[in-house]
Amino acid sequence: MGPFDGGVFDKRLQGGRAGAQLTVDAHGVHASTTAGDTFDVPARDCQLELGGASGRMWFCRTPDRQLTIYSEARGFAEALASLPNLSQPVAELRRHRRAESRRGVLFLLAALGMLIALGIAGYFGLDYAGRAAIEALPREADERIGRLAINSMDLGGPTVHDKTVTDAVNAIVARLAEHAPGDFEYQVRVLDAETVNAFALPGGQIVVYTGLIAKAEALDEVAGVLAHEIAHVTQRHGLQRIAQSLGVAGSLELLLGDLGGLSAIAVELMRAGALTSYGRDQEREADEQGVLTMHASGLDADGIARFFQKLQKEQDEMEIPEIFAWMSSHPDLDERIANVRAQIDSLGPVAEQPLEIDWDAVRRAVGPDAEAAGSAAEADATEKAPEQNADSKAGSKAKRRKR
Amino acid sequence: MESRIIDRPSFAHIRVDMSAGDRLVAESDAMASMTSNIQLKARFNGGLFRALVRRLFGGESLFVNEYSTDGTGHVILTQPTPGDIECLELRGNTLYLQGGAFIACEAGVKLGVGWAGLASLIGGEGLFRLKVGGHGKVWFGAYGGIFAREVEGEYIVDTGHLVAYEPSVSLRARLSGGLLSSFFSGEGLVTRVRGPGRIYLQTRSIAALAAWTNSHLV
Ligand SMILES: [Zn+2]
Repeated sequence: MGPFDGGVFDKRLQGGRAGAQLTVDAHGVHASTTAGDTFDVPARDCQLELGGASGRMWFCRTPDRQLTIYSEARGFAEALASLPNLSQPVAELRRHRRAESRRGVLFLLAALGMLIALGIAGYFGLDYAGRAAIEALPREADERIGRLAINSMDLGGPTVHDKTVTDAVNAIVARLAEHAPGDFEYQVRVLDAETVNAFALPGGQIVVYTGLIAKAEALDEVAGVLAHEIAHVTQRHGLQRIAQSLGVAGSLELLLGDLGGLSAIAVELMRAGALTSYGRDQEREADEQGVLTMHASGLDADGIARFFQKLQKEQDEMEIPEIFAWMSSHPDLDERIANVRAQIDSLGPVAEQPLEIDWDAVRRAVGPDAEAAGSAAEADATEKAPEQNADSKAGSKAKRRKR
Repeated sequence: MESRIIDRPSFAHIRVDMSAGDRLVAESDAMASMTSNIQLKARFNGGLFRALVRRLFGGESLFVNEYSTDGTGHVILTQPTPGDIECLELRGNTLYLQGGAFIACEAGVKLGVGWAGLASLIGGEGLFRLKVGGHGKVWFGAYGGIFAREVEGEYIVDTGHLVAYEPSVSLRARLSGGLLSSFFSGEGLVTRVRGPGRIYLQTRSIAALAAWTNSHLV
């Protein structure tokens, strides 16, 4: 049978080896090299081995191991097995190889399983470590990032200096800040732009657009949005976002306390809009914390739900959708309205301490969009407003002194 | 065609004297100098696909250079690592080379790429290896000195020191010590080779050099 591609090891060959064509017949195994040398291993002398780099190379060797003829060609094993005294060893070696490859596969699977387990443990370990590192960072980190962000941002409108507006917004934020967790210091800017938007940056930089004030029929609606935004600050969602996008390597750096690198990354993220758009879970958390803060502040927590509804309605009517920036970063309104109302129900009645602000005057001050008359709820606000604003300013100063 | 290896072992290079009709195939960046009457032709390292596979997985270059001449001249070939070069005459037998070891061969030598198996991958040497077969001389290089060893039965080598081996030799990655000590010491894996057949080892390891260099960069 044959010929088969193979080779010979023998000291008589130059270099001790050569490729050869093999044949198998009743006498045994024969090899002839391209140089014309021939070698034979009689069947009765042939000691079989199986191995080689592929695991499928058959070696036929003389008892003194001076001559080895080998091949991994297809059919060579069958040819060997056809010799009466070799059929037994061929079958045995094949069985042995099968058992070994089974063991190999099992070992590989076990090793793979272990690697995967280690990988998962490592990933979550670092993820957890990253979060823990964020928790451990001083409040100064949030403030630094927030300042960096707001200074390098195009805010998209001139600052509003009308005290009717700024005092009202400051009063709302001061009230909320008093009852929100954490002791962040809030800095509010009202900007003149049509966009219905408000956002908070890490550390307490809050930006409100006149478009949002004009859209809100009642103070509690704006207060609800601000409570939500303040919650993003107190829950440190901005830093969490940064930690998430840092990945494993960045989290490690963070663990080593590299604030400089962190700030650089934060600015990059901010450019990509990531600092003011949060994940679904973070939004849910901000809604929940926002409702708690509103409730604790003695304000109507349903304001945020009503504002959501208003946005929803206008979204359905496709009314100038491109200016609803806040909504585009806050999707799933239906579900969120339901969640907010369920939470309010579970909290029970609120001891309302309404802020005495003339909301209609505020809306009139922010522009022609505020053509509608104010709702009945805020109709009792009167000319006392300026005095109230002064009070709340004093309150916020007191709070600062407390720190 | 006449050839000799000069300045062995540390800074070995190959001088090949060629006359009309001789052809020499070499790794694309192996040529250090040559006489002006030598023609150089780049060709794919054995067909586009095989060349790509070799490039991607075997650490060899995409092109090989083929040198020929109408008269008489010489080519000086070298290798990137400081170390010895081995010349082996193939007589129909085959040899597997680890990535980067191949330098040159005569025209009768066939270059192929073979699946190296998981043992090689786990050992950090890649999934494919260069396969040289056919007839003629093949030159391959190493970092440090090269020594050959005939293996009968089992033998343990550090994977980073293995340069070449015959197909009759089986390789298996094995943990050098216990599971944990292997994992954390970095001395994790050794290769268990089993003969019959010949292996070529280099006296230095690039991986060890890289690790040593890294440890001094921090
Ligand atoms: Zn939000």
